[in-house]
Amino acid sequence: MFDPRTKLFLAMGYAVLIAASARLGWSLAEAAVLLLFIAVIGKTRLYLRWLRMALPMSLFFGAVVWWTADVRIAALAALKLLTLVSVFFVFFSVTLPEDLGNALVQIGMPHIVAFVVSTSLQFVPTIGRRIRNVLDAQRARGIPLEPGWSALRHYPAFLGPILIQSFQMAEALAEAMEARGFGRPGRTFLKDYRMRTRDWLAISFGLLALIVCLLGMRGWG
Amino acid sequence: MTAGMVKTDKLGYAYRQEDEHLALDGVDLSIANGEYLLVCGASGSGKSTLCRTFNGLIPHFYGGRLHGEVRIAGKPTSKHSVADLFAQVGMVFQNPETQLFNSSVDREIAFGLESLGFPRANIQERISATAQILNISALLGRNPQELSGGEQQLVAIAAMLAIGPQLLVLDEPYANLDPVSVRQVRAALKVIHQRGIGVVISEHRLPYTVPDVQRMVALQGGRVVLDGPPEQLLVQDVEPFGLELPLPVLAGRRLGLPRLPLSVEALQTRDVVSPLPSDLQTVPPVFHSDGADIVLEVERVSFDLKGFPILHDISFTLRQGESLAIVGANGAGKTVLLKHLNGLHRPTRGQVRVKGKDTGQVKVSQLARQVGIAFQNPNSQFFKMTVWDEILVGPKALGFCDEAWLRELVRLFRLEPLLKRPPYRLSDGEKKRVAFAAALAHRPAILALDEPTSGQDWHFRSILGALLAELRAQGQAILLVTHDLSFAEEHAHRWLLLANGQVVAEGSPWKVMSDKAAMESAHLEPTDSFRLFSADERTLADPVQPRGGRHV
Repeated sequence: MFDPRTKLFLAMGYAVLIAASARLGWSLAEAAVLLLFIAVIGKTRLYLRWLRMALPMSLFFGAVVWWTADVRIAALAALKLLTLVSVFFVFFSVTLPEDLGNALVQIGMPHIVAFVVSTSLQFVPTIGRRIRNVLDAQRARGIPLEPGWSALRHYPAFLGPILIQSFQMAEALAEAMEARGFGRPGRTFLKDYRMRTRDWLAISFGLLALIVCLLGMRGWG
Repeated sequence: MTAGMVKTDKLGYAYRQEDEHLALDGVDLSIANGEYLLVCGASGSGKSTLCRTFNGLIPHFYGGRLHGEVRIAGKPTSKHSVADLFAQVGMVFQNPETQLFNSSVDREIAFGLESLGFPRANIQERISATAQILNISALLGRNPQELSGGEQQLVAIAAMLAIGPQLLVLDEPYANLDPVSVRQVRAALKVIHQRGIGVVISEHRLPYTVPDVQRMVALQGGRVVLDGPPEQLLVQDVEPFGLELPLPVLAGRRLGLPRLPLSVEALQTRDVVSPLPSDLQTVPPVFHSDGADIVLEVERVSFDLKGFPILHDISFTLRQGESLAIVGANGAGKTVLLKHLNGLHRPTRGQVRVKGKDTGQVKVSQLARQVGIAFQNPNSQFFKMTVWDEILVGPKALGFCDEAWLRELVRLFRLEPLLKRPPYRLSDGEKKRVAFAAALAHRPAILALDEPTSGQDWHFRSILGALLAELRAQGQAILLVTHDLSFAEEHAHRWLLLANGQVVAEGSPWKVMSDKAAMESAHLEPTDSFRLFSADERTLADPVQPRGGRHV
């Protein structure tokens, strides 16, 4: 519905707001609004699955902060981190990587850079599949790579094949892209990325809301 | 011959400047417009290298040292970049997964047109026209990474076809596909050729290609050793070039037919009076189960993943010295079933017992002691600096090291010359041999091989076949998971035919193949040998009596 650039701008704006919040109440409110938004766009199930990865990461970060500061700051830090990465979860669940890439090219980012970003995102599931294959193959040989701390001892068995395969994959991919004229000047685009009235309106309202919230927070703080 | 599409002149190539070994050596070849050409030869003969010179990937992408010249429609490739040539020569690669990089099929097809700067409306038009020709219109909105291998290859072909090339070059496009997908892609290539577009396909399995092409070129050591129409060339032996003659061709030669039949259908339409020479028939090995211990029992196993049923009510047993093939198309659930043997998957219902013990609570790394599995891609497991260390990984992790056995393995798998080399630098066939030896290194009761022949040439298949026979004779229980039916016919006592996660037929290879309904539901066709020789009295004979023998 909106241009990918608009979505990116709004996500960035929300990220600024989250980063600027210094009180637990504010952060909780921001998280609640985000959760509501996720429910409205119908991504709740996907989000819950994704949380299984993001939540432990945030808790770990919180634990580190707790170790150096107090529990209140730690809770705030963990919550802020979780909300922040959740914003980008939302962004990427409503934006195709290459839409973002192509839109960025149209506002002047070099094609190669934009493509590196969008293609690496595109291959996340493939890499995930290969990681599972490596784990299965090594466990089948008796290497105890079961989830847990003991697996760390056997990291070469895991890391070696993944690295080698990533290089091989990158090479094959580069070749396939070359064979379809990647990097040739004068590229056109199947999809039209145009900022429409509704994009400018969304950006204006977003900006306004951000300023009001930031001022409000200063007033309260 | 009409105007030349491709012309090579004393073409030689080495992948690195300093290499003395030439991947191509004095290749003189011209390909006419609209010609359908097969480039065949054993692994390492230079097929892929030759294909990559046609669109300029060699030398522009690979570097190295090029002698002689390649001209595409008169243009020397040395002076034109890949970006200049790709509109005329479309290239499709072996691995579907790494040549598709967009989030939807329509964008995939659009990519080359976007590179060429086509206007938007025009791109849209070409996408739908191309999709219609290849019959993939229903896939346009899908994510390429979620398609089957065959569909992915069709999308890769569409992405090239949309550009409107004069020549389509495919580098071993069938290597990762099951028979269903191979049929799909073959049909698509026929349509493309009929539209006047030239097709060059590299492949080492002749039965898949010779019935389709007008001309074949065989390479050996980077040189052209055969060149001509298949029905004329195949009167001579091709084994010295690492190729296997298709069975109908062999039969035609023995029967003295004037024009060689290239496919089973072609042979069957001839009025052949004399019986087919019976020694050409593949006869499955026979297993004498008497007294052999049961090493594996799979009892009424069902498996659900995220609420979807993947396997349904599967039961079978495997005895010492027996070789069982789990056959079926890709996606039938073969590999998922395999992963139940060592606990990588646990049954939702039912039980898996290895040597009489329930595997339910046992850790994967402990089950590995009894079940050696080599998965399809050996690159998933190599991490040591030498082949020898790689083979020792299992025995060390499991605390079981029998030196005499390891020496025996090195002999069996012919690994002596490779032992000190880094495993990931070997050829694909050598890698597979190392992975199989590694799976056997700790002497597991069961050896399981997942698609052991995929992408492998005749030479590798015959080595592997001999090796499996020797292991069987030593009493090794073997489980083959494969869609390569002719290999499974030759090397398994018994088949378990899987379709949609269910066993639809079971018994000797001949018994399973004679069950037409089951084979159809699995989208598989019987082997050439079976189709040519199947006669009632043969198909009735079932040399195995293995079921329900738990109390034996």
